[in-house]
Amino acid sequence: MAKPKVAFFDFTSCEGCQLNKLNLENHLLDVLEHIDIVEFREAMDDKADEYDIAFIEGSISTPQCVERIHDIRRRAKTLIALGSCASIGGINSMKNLQPIESVREAVYGKDKYLFPTLPAIPVSAIVKVDYEIYGCPMSIPEFLQVFKSLIMGKAPIKSDSPVCVECKLKENECLFERGMVCLGPITRSGCDAICPSFGQFCTGCRGLVPNADKNAMTDILMKHGLSTDEASKRLLMFNSYVSDEMVN
Amino acid sequence: MKSIHLAPENVSDLIRHLQTLGKVFAPHPKGDTSFSFETVSDPDSVVLDYNRTLQSIKKYFLPPRERLMSYSMETNQYEKEEISAEPRIFLGVHSYDMQAVLKLDFNFGQGNPELNYLKRRENCSFIGVSFTPDDYHFSQSVGIPVEDLKGFDLFFRKHESGYTVFVVTKKGEELLQDFSSLSDTGFESDISYEFSTQLSINYNRLPELFNHVWDSPVWEEVSRNCVGCGTCNLVCPTCYCFNVEDNVELSLKTGTRDRHWDGCMLNSFAAVAGGENFRESYAERQRHRIYRKFKYISDVTGEPWCVGCGRCIASCTAGISIVEIVNKLKDEYEQTRLIKSTNKQERASVESSM
Repeated sequence: MAKPKVAFFDFTSCEGCQLNKLNLENHLLDVLEHIDIVEFREAMDDKADEYDIAFIEGSISTPQCVERIHDIRRRAKTLIALGSCASIGGINSMKNLQPIESVREAVYGKDKYLFPTLPAIPVSAIVKVDYEIYGCPMSIPEFLQVFKSLIMGKAPIKSDSPVCVECKLKENECLFERGMVCLGPITRSGCDAICPSFGQFCTGCRGLVPNADKNAMTDILMKHGLSTDEASKRLLMFNSYVSDEMVN
Repeated sequence: MKSIHLAPENVSDLIRHLQTLGKVFAPHPKGDTSFSFETVSDPDSVVLDYNRTLQSIKKYFLPPRERLMSYSMETNQYEKEEISAEPRIFLGVHSYDMQAVLKLDFNFGQGNPELNYLKRRENCSFIGVSFTPDDYHFSQSVGIPVEDLKGFDLFFRKHESGYTVFVVTKKGEELLQDFSSLSDTGFESDISYEFSTQLSINYNRLPELFNHVWDSPVWEEVSRNCVGCGTCNLVCPTCYCFNVEDNVELSLKTGTRDRHWDGCMLNSFAAVAGGENFRESYAERQRHRIYRKFKYISDVTGEPWCVGCGRCIASCTAGISIVEIVNKLKDEYEQTRLIKSTNKQERASVESSM
């Protein structure tokens, strides 16, 4: 059986997720056993016409992005959004909270009309996404889990429980007990609660659980000392993009 | 029952003595203000005066994550994990946590016995310790006094001048054999323990209450602040639900079957094929959680399945309290019953005057 052809693409992002893939280190050679990488700008020069699996990093934020993601989707059998920007819009979508004209002006000054720009949105807002790997940067264990499932031809397990679950299973002292506020109660788990385990509150980089109640979460944040404004900023840092079905 | 006096300065010596008999587990400080059961390496770091540990000793019998078997897809063979039943001594256990273990014994011993759990329960000794109830403990309301000795081999009652050690079982007596730093105790007056948090209904009446509150508006009301994080399930000493997953190695030739704790407040718990979820709302999930504690199992065993440790209340960031839920249900039930009976009386008097 021929190895699946795999390609990696980057859109509006810091390319940290792609770098994190090269950080697989101990697993990298084992991963390469199973696939042929046909396109990966950060690691090689080659290009290909079609892909069995296309990994997409970054959010969609320009008309060119829209065109390019359609083109990739047409040529990819399976398309996977990689990391916060691609899967939920991520940090980039904070841009959407301001009028688009003022954002353009702030970045490009008098040249603003040379650079058309759109609100920053996840890949799934434009084309069908088969699976999502969350996190900023993307979670390596989750990447491997999805990767193995795809190679074996089965559906990856998608976590829809919050980070609190992972803290409780590790018997971490709750950061609320330490006077911090944390987005663990409504943030999608799968990171093994890595930040809270090291004393850093969760910022919600993996997106919210499917039926997250943002109003109830805002109440919790305020009950623990944040102002309305601070609570709203916390919640918006990674999660400014809200699709219709996510609105409560 | 035989009781002896243990001076505070001899506690560490006693732990050292226990360590010659088996592996000792006891509460230790954890984080800024919390406690957790850990394997004792330094007897001096053990804390016997604590409010509650983050997790109960359930974690030693039903680990949060556990490998059930390893398998090979090349040879089509599998191998179950070996579980050793080495002698283990649990020191400094509160009565509600002991009762929770006895309840799990029932859950896992019934029907199709849970062999991993039962194996881990072999060879265990339990040494209890009294505690001062804080704002979250309500174990007395569910029939578990601070000095409930059931399940313990030894029990330490803390008082100003040290501990009175009650020798509850033969095994307890054996644990103290050859340990000389004990003196016969003088007269000890009983200690009364005050619980500031209590159910406003006698636990004997809970089954009756739960026959009537399924449709209560209280469920919606108390779930308004819930975000479904599952913490209440995952810190509960009598919750025992788990999920099983197959994990394949990167070679795609071998793998493991693993299980981890699950909880009925979580999204996928009641999700079924086809994308349906038969407990979609947090109110429905809260109701299920509370019914599991006071109705479903209790109908079979005649006891509440909540032990009143207060962990779910203490760790809920939204401030939801199981005690408040039960008390509200009771109030609401009594009110509606009152209205019904007044209506009935009024009807009766109207009818009789006709």
